[in-house]
Order: sequence, then structure tokens, then C-alpha cells
Amino acid sequence: MSRGGELFIFYEKSMPMIDEKIVSIQSEIEKILPSISSKEMLENFRIEFLARKGKVASLYDDLKTVPSEQKPVYGQKVNALRKYTEEQFQLLKSRLDSTVSEKEEFLDRTLPGRMRPRGTRHPITQTMEEMKSIFISMGFGIVYGPEIEDDYHNFEALNFPPNHPARDMQDTFFIKDDVVLRTHTTPVQIRIMKHRKPPIRVIMPGRVYRNEAVSARSNYFFHQVDGLYVNEKVTFAELKGTLITFAKSFYGSSIKYRFRPSFFPFTEPSLEMDITCFLCSGKGCRICKHTGWLEVLGAGMVHPNVLRNCGYDPEKVSGYAFGMGVDRISLLRYGIDDIRTFFDNDIRFLNQF
Amino acid sequence: MRISYNWLKKYIDVKISPEELSNKLTNLGLEVESVENLGSQYTGFVVGEVVEVQKHPNADRLTVCRVKVERGKEPQQVVCGAPNVSKGQKVIVGLAGATIPKNQHDPNGKPFTLSKVSLRGVESNGMICSEYELGLGDDKSGIKVLDAHAKVGTSLAEYLGVNDTAFEIGITPNRPDCLSHIGIARDVAAAYKKKYARPVFKLRENKKLSIYKLAKVKVEDTHACPRYSARLIENVKVQESPSWLKNFLSAAGLRPINNIVDITNFVMLEYGQPLHAFDYDALAQHTIVVKNAKTGDRFTTLDGKDHQLDGTELMICDGKKAVALAGVMGGLNSEISRSTKSVLLECAYFSPVSIRKTAKKLGISTEASYRFERGTDPNIVIEASARAASLIAELSGGEVAGGCIDVYPKKISPKKISLRTERVNDILGTSISTKQISDLLNAIEIKTQKGKRKASFVCHVPTFRPDIEQEIDLIEEIARHYGYDNINNQIPGDVIFTLQDKKEAKINEIRNWFESNGFNEIMTNSLIDNSLAASFSDKTVKVRNPLTIELEVLRPSLLPTMLQSVSHNYNHGAAKLHFFEIGTVFSSADLTRPNPVNGYSEQNMLGICMSGDANQLSWNEKLRPIDLYDLKGVAQSLFTKLGLDNIHLICYDASKSLTESAIDIEINNTYVGFIGKCKKIVLEKFKIEKDVYFAEINLDLVTEFEVSRKFSEFSKFPTVIRDVAFLLRNEVTVQEIEDEIRKAGGKLITEVTVFDIFSGKALGEGQKSVAFSLKLNSGEKTLSEEEIEKIISNIVHAVQSTFGAVLRSI
Repeated sequence: MSRGGELFIFYEKSMPMIDEKIVSIQSEIEKILPSISSKEMLENFRIEFLARKGKVASLYDDLKTVPSEQKPVYGQKVNALRKYTEEQFQLLKSRLDSTVSEKEEFLDRTLPGRMRPRGTRHPITQTMEEMKSIFISMGFGIVYGPEIEDDYHNFEALNFPPNHPARDMQDTFFIKDDVVLRTHTTPVQIRIMKHRKPPIRVIMPGRVYRNEAVSARSNYFFHQVDGLYVNEKVTFAELKGTLITFAKSFYGSSIKYRFRPSFFPFTEPSLEMDITCFLCSGKGCRICKHTGWLEVLGAGMVHPNVLRNCGYDPEKVSGYAFGMGVDRISLLRYGIDDIRTFFDNDIRFLNQF
Repeated sequence: MRISYNWLKKYIDVKISPEELSNKLTNLGLEVESVENLGSQYTGFVVGEVVEVQKHPNADRLTVCRVKVERGKEPQQVVCGAPNVSKGQKVIVGLAGATIPKNQHDPNGKPFTLSKVSLRGVESNGMICSEYELGLGDDKSGIKVLDAHAKVGTSLAEYLGVNDTAFEIGITPNRPDCLSHIGIARDVAAAYKKKYARPVFKLRENKKLSIYKLAKVKVEDTHACPRYSARLIENVKVQESPSWLKNFLSAAGLRPINNIVDITNFVMLEYGQPLHAFDYDALAQHTIVVKNAKTGDRFTTLDGKDHQLDGTELMICDGKKAVALAGVMGGLNSEISRSTKSVLLECAYFSPVSIRKTAKKLGISTEASYRFERGTDPNIVIEASARAASLIAELSGGEVAGGCIDVYPKKISPKKISLRTERVNDILGTSISTKQISDLLNAIEIKTQKGKRKASFVCHVPTFRPDIEQEIDLIEEIARHYGYDNINNQIPGDVIFTLQDKKEAKINEIRNWFESNGFNEIMTNSLIDNSLAASFSDKTVKVRNPLTIELEVLRPSLLPTMLQSVSHNYNHGAAKLHFFEIGTVFSSADLTRPNPVNGYSEQNMLGICMSGDANQLSWNEKLRPIDLYDLKGVAQSLFTKLGLDNIHLICYDASKSLTESAIDIEINNTYVGFIGKCKKIVLEKFKIEKDVYFAEINLDLVTEFEVSRKFSEFSKFPTVIRDVAFLLRNEVTVQEIEDEIRKAGGKLITEVTVFDIFSGKALGEGQKSVAFSLKLNSGEKTLSEEEIEKIISNIVHAVQSTFGAVLRSI
């Protein structure tokens, strides 16, 4: 420890008692200072020298005995000593304070931080939101319809004749003879077409119901996103272009796809779109039933009967419609084996998304 | 529909591999769902000829044979243990790698795979098989000896005629014409621009027998049965079918029964026309009457099931009784049996709707009803019947009576539909020529005739295509055969601006808020148990045909299904459950807004469910359980985030039926939901032991409130903070005190915050101490010490006099 200041002491021939005392206290202090290494020792030092009854203070009592002509000289000496002692004390104090705090407040930087809460969106919501945002970027609006639907909107207006085998494609939950739990989100197409005038370009997300036994691959309810575009001279070629744009945005621009002719009562011509199975890259696996393809959506040109049912003239406007299942797609993209996992809502599952 | 590759090849002369055919079918809209290589279990088995037999040097019961298994190659050495092996026999040899379907030395007949082995010092390159080992029969006594004509080197599958490929095709309901091999051949041939061949056969009739004398047919309901034909085949011998027939049926997925039934099935799979064979002698008065059942009649179908009829079913009857459910299933009473001598062969066209109603109501679906309800071809009836009769004569030795009874009062003719080239291209976005269009249609037997207008046609649609009803259906056929892949991919060129709904953005904001505040979004099912639903509401919506009784009623609240998820997680060791769900709840009450479907209403709800720990276990915070104030705080913070401020939280004495300590939420004086603690009695139903706090908020309402965010000037003068603490009775609510403070303090009080509440013996029974921190600001000037003292003193006096409070400290 280095000293902060220097003290000059003048020795004279005839030194009174006080002079001797100053020198001895001075040397005592100089001796003790280097050994002070704790606050406790410093405090003892303060009490010994600086306190009201400490050694330095006692010099002022001694000063009274000094002859008056020498008082200014010794007064200065005592003052200088007191100043020196106080300075040394302060210096030591601040040094000890800083070194002591480093030692006492050791920071364990391996302790975990205080975490902010982290929640999750349901994986089906995430898939749905991704689909929505792609379609919004393509100029589609979003509309919703009721889950309890009447036979007219769910079937009849969509060109499902009564007692037609096409109705078997969708096992139905009935509430009354003519009220059902909607089997698809397609009835919203009828509602929107009756409510607005072309051009219409919307998607219709929502929950749908099928009276099917629950298994790892199928559930009695699931979610769909339907789409509809009605305008003058909408073509099948545009439908294909739209679907490809969506598929590439959603599944990645390098995917391979194919269109197959299919059948839906409310579209004609109808198609189904397959993409290369992304689990086996088209080699064939359990998930794609060894075909190498995954069916991802159904679509087609809005059937003229449907347009007529909504009060449109099929000679003047045409349209396309499409629909896709959100749950199945979520199942595939996250590699989930059992569709029921989505609705157990186990937090060990949810926290992975 | 299962299709046999070999069978299909009978009608189309195109060299295509099963793989190529599979792709072609899919591209035509006949989606191949799976492909099965039949006979693959026989891989490694071939026909061989035993050319040498010698005694095994080291075993009495074994022989060492040399068997020729490939023409022009050296015979293979095979050790055989069968007593009947001898030189010159044609046998079946399993070579190394082949799997023996049934090991006759294993008690369970487990399969095993052959390899080259040394049997008592002699090498054996394979095994000569018994009937049992190949799974072809029960004979274990010795090797199966084939007839001398069998060719050496032929694979067993080929020898048995089962070397085939079966396609499982998903036929859409609009394509009844493809529920047959001929129908599929027609589409495939068109795709290759070829003609397909129809079956060639000659029907020999015994003119001495006349069906018109031997049987009678009367159709009472010609609407449900527009055409009914009958033929008679006498002196039949009911027996097993020949192997070619059995193989075709098996490949197509049908079980062979006897030659008569097999032939009717064969013709059905060939033409798509179901037929039914009656035991002629079982028909009273040898008469057929087609009429409706009588209400209350019972009928036993040939599968032995008894059915109660309601009078709407179309029945095939004889002179006395019903003998078949028309187009669905025959009766037990007239079934073909080994003793059948004469067969009355029914071939008819039934109305699809009539058959579908009956099949659906009785819960029967057969190959016949499946085809009739989709629509068969009324004009194929006679040809199909003749084809079946000729086969019966050929395979059962029967004699076909002369003539065919054909009740067909009103002929069904091909539809005429007009088609415009321009329309085709407008819909498809193509430029297909008029000539191309007629070629494409003609290839699938749709005749085209020039129309009156330029570039237009009149198309004659054959009766096997009931699905083609208007121009658009023809356009689909053109697109299908033109090839979807050959149509360009275009992006719609126009720009449409679509208004985006604000609600969508608000719901997104709500999800974001929950996600960043540590909540898991859950998604639960919409159907619940009736008894559970009833405890919420007496206006529930019931499903008439539920899957199970637990899934009978549409949820009137998100609570029950959310509790299911809470329960699931507790059962799996979870400790902290902070859930939210956004979903629909249902009611049969007419709620205020117009309901899309009369008598039912739906609301989009936000459910919040909190249970277990409030926080995560960590080094600097103690775990504490969730309480009501956590959930209340969630709701309040959420509303603040959404910019909703005119909120009243009303504590009612009367609790909701399933929650206690309920707080109702009003926004802009409209009830939007509640917050509460689930009652124990509810939690017990879900076996949940910990407390669960639940809130349900109507998002239809919450997202509808107009929120305008406007800047408001804040004070330039300093804010003064003063703390006051009162000693009061426990029952006095913080809200009451705060209201009193605000009333007494006036608009100078800008914030009132409770920062300490406690009670204890030192304070006396039923007493509590509540401390408030008050912020004061005038907005116009700096408040003087005297002014502040005056306000505080007013507040203290007001609280003291209103609640009998004692001031603890200032």
C-alpha cells in the first residue's frame, strides 16, 4: 500500500514534550497503516487515533501546555498530523470499501436468468394463420359462417340432390331433419354469394364435423379453409395458377405437384391436388400409402347450378372454389402420428410449438 | 372398386405395364389408391420335372432327386422326404429364398424361408412341396403332382393363373360407368386413342322351351323399376366354378361361391350390371311381381338377417311372397343351392333413389345396391343377361329357354345436350379446337352432331353416363381427356382489393397477448355429454345421431372441454396450467343477433382457464398457487391491451351454476362474460383436485367495440404521492374505499393503488388494515402543502365517517 501524501516535520533543538509525542504518534501511524487490511482494523485505527479521545485528538490537550509563542508552530504541526491521519484513513476506507465489495458480492453468472413467460399458439392455429396470410397476400378476404347449418346451405344449394350417393361422401351429424352440423366450410360460399355481388374473392376457415369413428387418422371434427373467387371469365387455368402459387408458398417452391380429375357436386370440372410426399420424397411410405403422393386439396369451377342457386347467371360470371383440411396438413408437416394428439392439449405437446 | 389387370387386358389391346396403367387411371380421375401384386407369395416356386430319383445314402426315408427347373439348364439336386416322389413327375419346387407359406412339420404351420442346406451330408438346393405347404389344400401325405402338361420353369403364380395385379380404384359417385371392367377399359382405351373390345359370346337357346310359357313377370311400380328382364336356364348343375372364373373374382376381391352365383358376379364386374339368380322351383306360380312392400312386413335376406319393412321398399315377389329386396339383396327363401335345377335370371334397371332409400334405411350396402344407387345403364340389361345365360349354359350344362321377358314400358334414350366451343375455352382458359372437342367426346362414345350455331354441337350422351346432364359436364369430360396437365397455369390478372375485417386483427392481437404472457392455446372438441351440458343451460343443442353418448350435445360453454384438458394434464404430472381457447359455443335460445339458422345461435368465445402454480419454480421466487386475482388481472390487462376502458367488474352474490366467487364483466354497459372459481362439485366430475379459475368472454361482442386511441395531454406539474392506511371491518371492499377516496379527493386524485392489506390478532377480530398510495396532480399548478393537507384530511374524514374506519398512519 502506497502512501497518499508526504509529511514534513521540522526538528528543533529544544523540543518540548509535545514535539516528541507528535513524532512518536506519527511513526506509530506510519507503522500501523500498511498492516490495515480489513474494515474492522480500520475502525480500530480510527478509534485509536481519530476518535474524540484518540491519540491525535489528545495532542490538542497537550498543546495547551505549550508556551504561547510556540503555539502557532506546534498547532500547525498537530493540524498537519490530524489532516494526514484523516487523509490516510479516508484513502484506506475507500480502498477497503471497493475491495471488500468485490469479494462479498460474488456474482454467480451461471444462475439462470429470470425467464419471461412463454406461451404457445395451437399448431392448428399456426397452420391456419399461415394459410390465411398467404391468401390475404393474394387478395382474398376472410369470412366465417355458422357451424350449425341447414340442409339447404350444406347440401341442396351446393348441388347435392336429396337421396344422392354424393351425400355419403360426408357422413353427417343431424340435429333435425333439415339441420345438420356442417360437413364442410363450403356452405359459407352460398351465404357469401347471396350476401354480396361479384367480384368475390374470399377464404372461409372454420370447424366442420363428420360422423366418423375416431381413430389415429380421422376425427369427428376437423378444420377446413375453403376459398372462392367469382368474377367475369374466371377460368380453370387461373384456378390451377392460384393453387400452385399457394402450394409453393406454403409447402416450399421446390415441391412437385399433380392435378387429378375428381368429383364434388358443387364444382365442375373438379380436381384434387397432390404434392410429393414430403416424408419420403415420393419414394412411397406408410403415410402416403406407398403412392409417393399426398392429397392436399380439392377444387374446381363453381358448378353452374350453384351459381344459379345464388341468383347469378352462369353465362355472365364464373368462379372457382377450393378447400383443404387444416388438421391433416398439420399432422403431416409436424410429423404427428395420431390426430387425437391435437385435442388432448398435453402441455408437453403444446410447448413444442 | 377392385380391378384385375389381367381381366382388363381382355378388353384393351394396349401394351402398358401395371405401373403405367396406374398413373393413367389416376390422371383420368380414376384414382388408384393401392396396387397389389397378386401371387407374390409364390415368388421362388416353379414347375419342375423329376428326372432322377435315388436313395439317400444316409437316410432311409429320404430320396435324392434331380429336378429340372429351367429349360436348357442342368437339373438341380433336391432332397425329398415324400413317399410318392417318382421319376417323370411334374412337381412344384421351392428354390432358395422362397417362403413356404405353411410348414407341415410345425404344429402351428408357421411359414419358413428356404435356403441351400445339407441334409445328412447331401446338398439340397430346394424343396418339392405338398399341397398343404403351398396353402393350396389340406393334403400333407405327399408332394403335389401336377398334370403332365405343366411346363417346366413356369412360375407357380402363372401356373395357378393368379399372376395378376389388382388396382384399388376410388370411383367417385358420379362415375357409375366405371364400376366395371368394361367401363374402365372404355376410358383407358380412349386415353390411348384405341378401341376397346366387348366380350364375344354366342347364346344358344332351346327353342322348345319358351320362357313366355314358363314364367310371368309383372311390374307394378314402373317408376321404381323402369326395366325388368328375366331368362330361364333349366337343368343346371350347381357346382364349383372353373379356376379362371374363381381367379378373376378373387383378383377383383369377391369370394367364389358356386358357378351360378359366380357368373352373376362376373357379369356384374364385367358390365357393371348387377344380376340375381332365383331358384326357379322356389318361385310360387313361377311368377315375378315387382311391387312395394306392405307396412309391417318382415323379410329375411340371404345373409340370414331379418328386416322389418315400412312399405316404401321395392320388393321382388313371386306369386305368394317376397323373394328379394329389389336391387339390394335376395331372399333366403329362393337362394341358389346345390339342389337347384332351374335358374330364373333377373336383370333389371331400378331407380337409383328407390334403391338408395331402401339400402340406407335397412343399413345394407351390397355390390348390387352400390351400383344401382349410383345409376346403372338401362340399355345394357339385355346384353348382360344374355352374357350371363350363355356362361351359365356353358359352365353348368344348363339349357337356356327361348326368349327373354323384358318389361320396359318407356324406353330411356340418350340425352341430347348442346355444347359451344367458345364456352369450353372460356371455362377452361384453353384454346381447344372444335375438331379436337368432337374427337375427345367421340372417343368416350359421346356422339357429336353439328349444332345450329357456329362452333357448336348437339351431343348424344349414352345412358351409361347418367352423370352428364348439362354443358358443364361435357366440359369436364373434355378437360379430363384433354389432360389437366395440358391446361396452362395462369395467375388471375385482375386486381381485387378486399376489405379485411378488423375482428380478424383483434383476435390475432388477443392470441399474441396470451402467447407472450405464458398461456398455451388449446383446442378442444365441440361435443359433450348431455348431463354435463344440462348443468350449464337448458337451451342446449343435441345431435340426433351421436357417435357416443359422451358426444351428444354441442358445448354451451368452453368450460367442460377445457376442464377435460386440465384433467388430462394433471393426470400426466403437470403443475402449472395457464390455458386459453377461442371457440364456438352453441345454444337453442334465440340470442339477440340474427341467427343464420333459425332457432340456433352460436357465439365465438374466449375461454381462460388457470390452475395449479401461478409461477414457475425458480431460485428467487417462491411457488404460489393461482388465485382469483391472477385471472382477474389477466382479464383486466387484456382489456387494457385491447384499448377497452369502460369496464365494470361486478361482483354478484348469486354465483354462476358452475363457478363461485363470480365476477361479471361489463364493457360499455354490455355484459360480455364472467370470471370465477370452479365449484368443487364440478371439478369432481373431472377428477381435478386443485382449484381451477375460469373466465369466459364473448369475442363477438368484445371485437365489435369501437376503439379509438387518442392522445391526451399529461400534466406539466409535479405529482405528489401520499400514503394512507386505514383500519376497517373485513367486509368493507377495497372498491368501496377507493370509490370513497375518489369522491372525497375529486379530480385532483389521479391514481389510487392498494399496496398493503393485512389482518391479524393485533388488529382485533374482523378487522383489516388497508394501505393506499395516492397520486395527486392538479394539471394546472403545483399543489401547495396546505392544499394537499386539506385533500388528504377530507379523504381521511370521509373514509372514517363512511366506514367507521380508524386512520392508522399517513
